[in-house]
Amino acid sequence: MISLTSPVRTWAHGWPAGLKLAGLCAATLVLFFIESVPAHLAIFGAVLGVYALPGRVFLATGMRRLRLLWPFILVVMLWHLWEGSVAQGVAICLRLLSAVALANLVTMTTRLTDMIAVIRWLAAPLRRVGLETRALELAVALTIRMTPVLAEKGELLSASWRARARRRAGWRILLPFTLLALDDADHVAEALKARGGLGN
Amino acid sequence: MSGVSFRIAGKEILRGVSLDVDVARLGVVGRNGSGKSTLARLVAGLVAPSEGRVRVNGKELAADRRAALSEVGILFQNPDHQIIFPSVLEEVAFGLGQQGMGRREAEAEAREVLARFGKAHWEEAAVAGLSQGQKHLVCLMAVVAMEPKLLILDEPYAGLDIPTRRQLMRYLGRYEGALLHISHDPEDLAGYDHVIWLEMGGVAREGAAEAVLAAYRDEMERLGARDDISDLAG
Repeated sequence: MISLTSPVRTWAHGWPAGLKLAGLCAATLVLFFIESVPAHLAIFGAVLGVYALPGRVFLATGMRRLRLLWPFILVVMLWHLWEGSVAQGVAICLRLLSAVALANLVTMTTRLTDMIAVIRWLAAPLRRVGLETRALELAVALTIRMTPVLAEKGELLSASWRARARRRAGWRILLPFTLLALDDADHVAEALKARGGLGN
Repeated sequence: MSGVSFRIAGKEILRGVSLDVDVARLGVVGRNGSGKSTLARLVAGLVAPSEGRVRVNGKELAADRRAALSEVGILFQNPDHQIIFPSVLEEVAFGLGQQGMGRREAEAEAREVLARFGKAHWEEAAVAGLSQGQKHLVCLMAVVAMEPKLLILDEPYAGLDIPTRRQLMRYLGRYEGALLHISHDPEDLAGYDHVIWLEMGGVAREGAAEAVLAAYRDEMERLGARDDISDLAG
């Protein structure tokens, strides 16, 4: 199941969302200016240390989410092996891991409503010139909520393919999956309308 | 509801339906494709009729969406289509915010609703981790929080096991407003005041629940012995 919520409550849940996001911004920026491999190793180690603080369950959940990155790591490492710049490749991969781990950390410990409040605050100048930002706020909520739902639907679709075929479905379920997602979107839009929609 | 027809791409889903009902517990039965869900959407004001007028407590909700929020709430068949937020409290607070409450006020009120259902401990729960029955209950709490005068239920028990069904039924039974409950199963509507039986987009019969449900059950048994599943829609 892909969802970025924390299995346990941590002390970071109580911090203001704006502060966490600003910290994440700053940390990511700093990560991009560091080139040395030992420094990146130390940083990644520290990030893992932070993950370990709330306990084993939290650490395990966090690591499972980082595992999604392996294809990117693979591509980057292969490229740099071929280029002969292994140290640079390792630095890039560690930077990627640390940045995503930190971002996940913020997402896992921040309630969506608080995240949306920050977006709303950031988008305040847009409202001043007359743009409605409510759609943007809801879009963020829906993306996070619907990711696990769609992932499950995709699995069902590929299971029903495999149930009647000898090979895996692969790209061939892409079109039916798209149609399914569009149909779902229709239903969600209707349910949203039933509770006031965007028009308030 | 007077002279209501509803068409999608030229295909008539409801034809010339006129109804005037004023009861606390209203049931709608009918086979798949008889127009039950369309009726629910019309009453909720989610769609406007192609012909005729639909009014709830004198208001045309398809045009007046602001009034609709306090007049009707609707529960759909699939909770995954209805739940917008990844955590329970946020989901329940959403509709209250839509009704004009501030964020803190909406959250306090949402907590109260959770407590009233004995689900205060669900506050921080992630929706993705809930069972299907629990998701249904979240949808119910989110709609009940908005205190609509009429609650529309579109096959709310589809795919649920018997204990879950019974438990949800108990929560629904306590609802103080009016219920419009759509189901293909007469058992769900036992004890209701009035039942409308839809057939091919029209009213086949309506009246006191017991009589209509008995006739409906007989007819469904009779049809069950036949093979009209072979017939393709014209």
